[in-house]
Amino acid sequence: MKDGAYGEYIIEVEGISKTFPNGVRALTGFSTKIRRSSVVVVIGPSGGGKSTFLRCLNGLEEIDSGSIVIDGIPLDDNKKNRLEIRKEVGMVFQSFNLFPHMTVLENVNLAQRRVRKKTKQEATETTMELLNKVDIPEKANSYPSQLSGGQQQRVAIARALAMKPKVMLFDEATSALDPEMIGEVLDVMKTLAREGMTMVVVTHEMGFAREVSDRVIFMENGGIVEEGTVEHFFSNPQEERTKLFLSQIL
Amino acid sequence: MSQARALAVEFNSGYSKMIQYNAKQLRRIWFVLMRSTASDVVKFLLLVAALTWLMYRGTEMMGYHWQWHRVPRYIAGFEDGRFTRGPLLDGLLLTFRISAWSLVLAFCFGLVTALLRISNSFMGRVIARGYLELIRNTPLLVQLFFLYFVLAPVLGIGRFTSAVLALSLFEGAYASEIFRAGILSVTRGQWEAAYSLGLGAFHTYRYIVLPQAIRRILPPLTSQAVSLIKDSALVSTVAIYDLTMQGQVVISETFLTFEIWFTVAALYLVVTVVLSTVVSVMENRLRVAD
Repeated sequence: MKDGAYGEYIIEVEGISKTFPNGVRALTGFSTKIRRSSVVVVIGPSGGGKSTFLRCLNGLEEIDSGSIVIDGIPLDDNKKNRLEIRKEVGMVFQSFNLFPHMTVLENVNLAQRRVRKKTKQEATETTMELLNKVDIPEKANSYPSQLSGGQQQRVAIARALAMKPKVMLFDEATSALDPEMIGEVLDVMKTLAREGMTMVVVTHEMGFAREVSDRVIFMENGGIVEEGTVEHFFSNPQEERTKLFLSQIL
Repeated sequence: MSQARALAVEFNSGYSKMIQYNAKQLRRIWFVLMRSTASDVVKFLLLVAALTWLMYRGTEMMGYHWQWHRVPRYIAGFEDGRFTRGPLLDGLLLTFRISAWSLVLAFCFGLVTALLRISNSFMGRVIARGYLELIRNTPLLVQLFFLYFVLAPVLGIGRFTSAVLALSLFEGAYASEIFRAGILSVTRGQWEAAYSLGLGAFHTYRYIVLPQAIRRILPPLTSQAVSLIKDSALVSTVAIYDLTMQGQVVISETFLTFEIWFTVAALYLVVTVVLSTVVSVMENRLRVAD
């Protein structure tokens, strides 16, 4: 682990809870810390609060109580802080959410130019590097609707990476894909993990978890049931609930 | 006997086959004809001819004396070999000016109101809602009179400005609902993707939400623009010499009631059809499958 500017942990979550207006208690006050350059996989049954947890980490959902500190910046009501955190935290969605009225190149360029204030040329250079990295440089001038699901998701990853984020969040990034396209997206994610990107990944892909994750968090009913290393999780889970869940999906 | 009968049967079946074949062919020719552009044009001309005939019959029974030849000089003409505008063309140009200004202002009012209604600010929402309900639930004519006779002297604005203001405030209220619908039609995922990239509210609207919303609302927005052009006829009531007012003046001088009103209607039609066509061309250019 390399030492960062603000210590060993890049994400510090303290007792966060969240209740939706419709009365659903999505998060029930849990704490966790995530190290720099580590890959954390969050698993658990649907409605367990995994996605809400992830969305709280970049302020897409507001927490009712508790605190979230990312790379030394507290995520609070201060709009400036929230914007600052969003610049440093990239997110990849289940439904890609590419901008349909822009080409791939424009999709990836946009935030670089408007947020990072790069010139068009600088942005395009970075974009082409990233498109090479996710292996679709030839689609730079296509529109999202002309791409397959897997290609769209790889563009979405490139778009998030274009901001040079310190943390990447993946919210079920492969769940909406055809089976034969899951591999190409997972490959990109694995490459990122090996390059030392800090990643928080909500997924059902246990193979991915086994191969690259440093830590696994099992969530249910808005709290953490069990967390530990991959070896611990797959060979020697402690909680009955975890055992039951793993037996059902493995 | 049987031979004759066989012959007859054969003849009959052959004959009916021939008829069948011909009927089939005829039907095919008929279909091709019906589907061709030529048939559409013919149908259209027939319809126009029928309507025209009805018109003429009707006015003939009223004892109306048609004098179309006197109309062109009121549109435009040549005097001493130079092109001169007639009163109707003058009016049309003024209608253009009023409509263009009002259109720009109306879309500004509409967009601002829509943004205020969606905003988190309580005051903003109250103001936007108040404006919308006040304008939408009172007649344009009353608003125009109120602006021109009550507010204009106080604010010291002229009749042209009052007219443009009244029109744009009125159409802006309707446009705001169209804008709001368009903005709300952009899915949550688009906002979230923009926010997660660190884009602020302004950039999100500017680059993500509005471009997608406007593509979707172009058709209803065009209807609104057409309405505005037609509603601009009301400004003739505050003595602005727009197309309608000029028409009235010409009629009062010449008694060419039918001819002039038809001409005025046709001029409005030309303007609005051109506008609709331009927008539909734009729409096709902007179309992106999402």
